[in-house]
Amino acid sequence: MIAAVREFTNRFLGRGEATITVPSFDGALKPNQRLEQAVTLLECEAPEDLATDGRTLYLADGRRLLRLDGGTATEIRSFEQPITALCMLANGGIAVALAGREVRLFADPAAGEPTVTFADAAFNAINALTPASDGALIATDGSVTCGTDDWARDLMELNRGGRVFRLEPRTRSITPLASKLGYAFGACAHGDGVLVSESWRHRLVLVRDAHAPQVVLAHLPVYPSRLSKAAGGGYWLTAFTARTQLIEFVLREPAYRRRMMAEIDPAYWVAPRLRSGFSFKEPMQGAHIKTMGVIKPWAPPRSYGLVIRLGEDGKPLYSLHSRVDGVNHGVVAAIEVGSDLVLIAKGPGRVLKLPLAGLAEEFGA
Amino acid sequence: MTDTVLSLRKATKLYAGVPAIEGVDFDLRRGEIHALVGENGAGKSTLTKVMAGVVTLTSGDMTVDGAAVAPRTPLEARNLGIAMVFQENSLVPTMTVAQNLVLGQEKFYNRLRGIYIAAQQFLQSLNFDVTPTATVGALGAAKKQMVEIARAVLHKAKVIIFDEPTASLTPEEKKYFFDLVRDLKKRGVSIVFISHALEEALLLADRITVLRDGKHVVTDDAAKFDRAAIVQAMVGRDLSNTLYGVRKNSVRPAGARVLTVQNLKMAPMVKNNSLSVFAGQITGVFGLVGAGRTETFKIVSGVLKRDFFHGGEIMLHDKPVRYRVPAPAVKAGIAYVTEDRKVEGFFETSSIARNIYLGLLSKFPRGRMMLSRRETNAVGKTWIERLKVRAIGDEAKVVELSGGNQQKVVIAKSLVQEPDLIIFDEPTRGVDVGAIVEIHELINQLADEGKAVVVISSYLPEIMALSDRILVSRQGKVVEEFSALEATEEKIMYAAIH
Repeated sequence: MIAAVREFTNRFLGRGEATITVPSFDGALKPNQRLEQAVTLLECEAPEDLATDGRTLYLADGRRLLRLDGGTATEIRSFEQPITALCMLANGGIAVALAGREVRLFADPAAGEPTVTFADAAFNAINALTPASDGALIATDGSVTCGTDDWARDLMELNRGGRVFRLEPRTRSITPLASKLGYAFGACAHGDGVLVSESWRHRLVLVRDAHAPQVVLAHLPVYPSRLSKAAGGGYWLTAFTARTQLIEFVLREPAYRRRMMAEIDPAYWVAPRLRSGFSFKEPMQGAHIKTMGVIKPWAPPRSYGLVIRLGEDGKPLYSLHSRVDGVNHGVVAAIEVGSDLVLIAKGPGRVLKLPLAGLAEEFGA
Repeated sequence: MTDTVLSLRKATKLYAGVPAIEGVDFDLRRGEIHALVGENGAGKSTLTKVMAGVVTLTSGDMTVDGAAVAPRTPLEARNLGIAMVFQENSLVPTMTVAQNLVLGQEKFYNRLRGIYIAAQQFLQSLNFDVTPTATVGALGAAKKQMVEIARAVLHKAKVIIFDEPTASLTPEEKKYFFDLVRDLKKRGVSIVFISHALEEALLLADRITVLRDGKHVVTDDAAKFDRAAIVQAMVGRDLSNTLYGVRKNSVRPAGARVLTVQNLKMAPMVKNNSLSVFAGQITGVFGLVGAGRTETFKIVSGVLKRDFFHGGEIMLHDKPVRYRVPAPAVKAGIAYVTEDRKVEGFFETSSIARNIYLGLLSKFPRGRMMLSRRETNAVGKTWIERLKVRAIGDEAKVVELSGGNQQKVVIAKSLVQEPDLIIFDEPTRGVDVGAIVEIHELINQLADEGKAVVVISSYLPEIMALSDRILVSRQGKVVEEFSALEATEEKIMYAAIH
């Protein structure tokens, strides 16, 4: 009863859970346009994930697995379903998630048959794979109900069905490590546990066996996604778009969301997107404010590009942005290859390269 | 009769030996709109207060229509035809508009109905949409300003001085105000107005005078200025010659996020303001008067309340907090060192030790019935020594101290609470040179110890000397963030006014 009264009061006053606020991009997250200065290595139709053994860079592009040599892409193989996650194994093999429902391990990227296949019925939206410290494989599954391409619906339905699985190739066993996460999307080994991105809760949690997830970094102004290790210690965390007060407001309006999902083409929902500005039908383009008697056009951003460099403790050190007026939005993967950082901007379908030299000094980290 | 209606020559005003304005020459032509611009503390308000008889010159001459004058009171200035409309208006809120208009000019027998009719006719002649029978306290900021202007015109003012006239007005009200000022100009009234909004000065003024550090920098036609030229004139001091020395060449790395302010609202001063403060760093907050800096941090520390509906969110160590009074904020580790120490900072007739101990009282979970004199003196002595408070005897009252030492007492009163987040609001305002250096050393020491420190200041050299990161506030929200390494005075000022 008290909880119901509190909820009603919060909704009425705009407090507590009903607060429509967004943290600011400041401190280490201070905006810049550094991602716009990145070199475009490749433009492709559906880049999804990157993997490297330190020498060779592999790219998942739709159903194709590509090897990237500079700006040249060579198709190694293709699958019957789209690749949703990619990861190199310690023994030189490669792990591939297909359509979010199956994980196949190959002895090498060109090998014909998989050495191990994990196809548990519980899998629904496997979106990231990472090796654990003990040779096992960690997989994050975003949602119980929505597929990897239907993540916007998962957000709009306020689902909390994200899970983390431990896949043991030797015993072919699958162990759930965590569940009820707000869209688990990306993981990286951290000490005796795994750092996991929770996109809908805008935070990073440390998942350990037999422990409740522990919050490492919270209240991010973005939707975090995949993680990768940085050579100098710490991590690279990508964020596929930024939070806005408009979306936060919509997320607190169930009737509006129900009707929007029932009647509107998902491409034009008031929801985060990986790219924007491609159609006149996009919502909220015509907003304006009047200042000093002058009408100034304004609209909330629909897409954004961001990579955050985290320290070993998981705290942000600096960040690379593509702001609203940029193009390289929807960053879903970032990985260090030699002296460069290679990224996927899924919005425009680009693979980008940014030299690492001088980045930390540039941002005073 | 000359074209110059009011002039000042070599105008100097000293406060306790410190010059607020020094050797300033100023001419106001008949029927012109003259903008006075400069940083906070540049001497704009003092100069206009001299004209309006609020303060008298220490040295220098003032003439009105060529005749030497020295108004000692606002009434004397008003009799000379000079009226001033203050930022905090000087109307009596419990009286009606008409009563305020005739205040000070009452006849022996006043018929209320007659006053209302005369006021109605007069307000209509000015095209002011204000009801003469309305109580002033019930009027909005713009209407109050109209009453102030109407009173100045009624008193046949030939010079009207506005101090930050648009600070509390909405954009529409501002536009209306500009029309009013242009109308006054047509009537031959000369206008002096102080504004931090440079676009207003460029838009409205015929001539612009820039003051800096109490001295006249330049006066010229508004058409000959652009924003960049004004900013350069406002801040063009040589940093190497100032008290604060050369700029930083390294900054402290950010620690954990201590404070997060998300979309905070408190109409009309704080508008959707968002910022973060990190441990082990000094976060400088710069902005001009009315930028909402003080109000934002007063809400954080429980001195003010945010909007009741959708007022935004404040998080301390990533947990939402809402303080309705300062005591729980103090217990949670937030200390706010006020900008107005004389009103909010201390009990001036109490001893230094008692004032410092007062800060500690709010940390006790259930208050205290009995106070230990010995403990009070011990705490006081510790902090007097640590902050080098100079006083004649241990029992000296705070009122007997210099401004700098008073400020140290206010700071000690906050530090005794052992806060994690310390907010200094104008920490060196009205403080002597020696104390400024000591206070700055203390602020740096706190950040080195890992505390999250916020310094709100209107003085750019202070912000640049102290801060590791600089937030620039404008119109109720943070609009720009600079690292101390990339910041320049021009960049900061540009962000503050555009």
